[in-house]
Formats: sequence, structure tokens, C-alpha cells
Amino acid sequence: MTTRDIGLVALFAAVIVALGTVPALPLAFGVPITLQSLGVMLAGLILGAKRGALAPIVVIVLVGIGLPVLAGGRGGLPVYAGPTAGFLFGWVPSAFVAGWIAERFDRPENTAAVRFVGLVAAAVLGVVVVLYACGIGWLALVTGIGFSKAFFGSLAFVPGDVAKAVIAAIVTRKVGDAWALRR
Amino acid sequence: MIDGIGETGTTLLHRLPAGGKLAGLAIVATLLFFVSNPALLAAALPFGAAAMLATGRPPAVLLHQIAVPAITIALVGLADLLLVDAETALVVVLRLAALLAFAVAVTLTTTSAELADTFERALAPFDRAGLVDAPRAALTLTLAIRFVPLVGQEIAAIREAQAVRGLAANPVALAVPLIVRILVRAERVAEAIDARGFPPPRPDRSRSPTSPMGGAPSPSQMPGDLHDHP
Repeated sequence: MTTRDIGLVALFAAVIVALGTVPALPLAFGVPITLQSLGVMLAGLILGAKRGALAPIVVIVLVGIGLPVLAGGRGGLPVYAGPTAGFLFGWVPSAFVAGWIAERFDRPENTAAVRFVGLVAAAVLGVVVVLYACGIGWLALVTGIGFSKAFFGSLAFVPGDVAKAVIAAIVTRKVGDAWALRR
Repeated sequence: MIDGIGETGTTLLHRLPAGGKLAGLAIVATLLFFVSNPALLAAALPFGAAAMLATGRPPAVLLHQIAVPAITIALVGLADLLLVDAETALVVVLRLAALLAFAVAVTLTTTSAELADTFERALAPFDRAGLVDAPRAALTLTLAIRFVPLVGQEIAAIREAQAVRGLAANPVALAVPLIVRILVRAERVAEAIDARGFPPPRPDRSRSPTSPMGGAPSPSQMPGDLHDHP
């Protein structure tokens, strides 16, 4: 960890927090989205696996020390104890997985199409698959609803998150054109 | 800086040490998750309510703190009622409600500064084992708290500029300039920190030959570590 890495991790943690205050943007098919998980995806895609996973860890610590840093001004230990805590803690492995895949596909020697599809796949696998596995697993455990029912209940949010994954991939490619990303 | 939820005060809950309150909350949470008798869980609820009232904060503040989590708990209870059975719904709602009350009580009576200090102290053993660099972790936390309003201002400025160009509510048009500005700023932050000589040298680590890290230069003393500029 260089001092630049410390600055990047702190700044991306702040981006994840600040995107939670941006009003949810209504999408064409009516699913409202908050941009906080877009921040998690961008941390993974832009910073890579290790630093990308550290940014949400910082946010989780900020939640724990009682700062209202989650969307809607939520924060404090009640979040850790709540039934949806898996969707918060799951940010860490999801940013790691997204970053790990992005490191392998978004390379200058690959064609533009491969890089873009790789980034979309990284964001979808990281945030949709890994995050939902953590969130749904915790929800099923706490409520006793059972895995499959919790799974179908969460499907409503998938379209919005896939759209965010595409947005994250577009943003990462555009940022990569303007600034040499070193993951 | 952003304001924390917890405030200073003079009640018994305020005066208890933060580490003790966190340990107590962890024990209560663990117990609540292993109890599945509705009567016992219902008995925990008045204690949780008493803990919330013992914070000395006005009822409006308490209601504000529990409003959103209460809706989530109610939805979970409804899902249990429809998909599983009434007893599971009762157990889950009582357990989560009691846990919420105790967690709100601790959060309201412990300032973010106290909790951050406790966090740093909790990192100390990991720091000695060489797993975590506690001063760097603390700096990262401090910087993140400082950067939240800063990034908020950048987002507001970018949105205003995009709105003028008719790009309102376009996440790509918001995120691209934001991330580029962040990457540029990270360079400047690193230069500013390096110029101040962070992290301070840590002679204690290399001096003790009995420690597992003994003799080896700590990561913070590696030459070149502080000079990673293009």
C-alpha cells in the first residue's frame, strides 16, 4: 500500500458514500436505482481486486462507527444487526471478484469488444452474483424464509443492477481512455 | 466532516466505555440469535426499549432512528407470515426488534470519535502480528471521513454543469468526470501526505528480535514506498 493507494481507497469509499446521496434515477422500465452499488462496482473495476475490496471495507467501518453513510442516511450498528446486512458486507467480496475479473480482461492487448464485455461480466458476476449470494444467504438465514423464496423475492432488483453493471463498464472504459488505470 | 449519529451525554450509557458497550451488544446479539422461544424474545424487548429510553434522547429522535429499520423488519415479518408460518414470523420480528433497540441505544450514546478509537485499539493486535498496518488504516478512515463532503461537492458541481447541457440524470455523464477528478486528486493527496513524512518511523518493531516481525524492515520503512509517483 503506497500513500497513493491510501488516498485512492479513501476517495473511493467517499464516492460510495456520496453516491448514496444522489437521488435514485428512475430507469426506462420503472425500476428505481440508487447509485451506491454503482460506486462499489466502480471501486472494483477501476482499482482492481485488492484496493477495490478495501474501499467498501472502509465504508462498512464508517457505518459501524455510527456515521450516516448509507443511502437514505442510514448508519450505525443497527445496520449490522438488520436482516439486509448481507447486502452491505457482501460489497467486499463482490468488489474483489469484479476487480479480479476486470484485471484479466481490461488489458490494452485485448480488443475493445473483449474489454467491454469482460468489464460487464466482471460487474455482473461481482455485484449481481456474489453480492446477491451474500445478501440472500443472510436474509434466508435470519428470516428462515428459505433460500429459494428469498432468491425469487430479490429478483425484482436484478434488472436495475444489470443496468448499473453496464453503466459501470462504460464508465470504466471511458475513464481508461482518459487516464492510465493501474490496477 | 460529517456528523455522527451518536452524541456526548451524561447518562450511565454514555459513561460506559465504548469497548464494553460493543462487547455487550455482541453478546446480546449472539444470545438473541440462539434463542427461538417467542416468550423469551418478547421478554428481551422491554429491556431493549428501556436501553433506548436510557439514552436520554427525545422520543422523536428515537422514533426517527428506528423508523426505516422497523419498516424492513415489518416487511420481513410479512414475508415470513405469508411464506413460512406465524410462529417463525413472530420469532424473527421479536428478535430483530430487540436487536434493533439495543443497537440504537449503543449507537446513540457513543460518539464516532470514541468508536473510531475503539476500532484502532482493536486493530493493535493485528498490527503487532503484521497483518494490518494500524496507522495506515486509521489514516485511510480519517481521509475517507474528510473526503465525503468533498466528493459530495464535486458531484453537485458536475450535476449542475451537466444539467445546463441537458444531461440531467445521466449516470455515465456524472461518473466519468467524477472518477477522473478522483484519480487526479489521489495523486495530489499522496504528494501532500508524503510531503508531511507519513507514516512516522516505527523503531519498536525492528528493535524487538522476539517478535515474529523482528529484524525485518517494516513495510513503512521500505525505500521507494513513499515515492510512487509517475
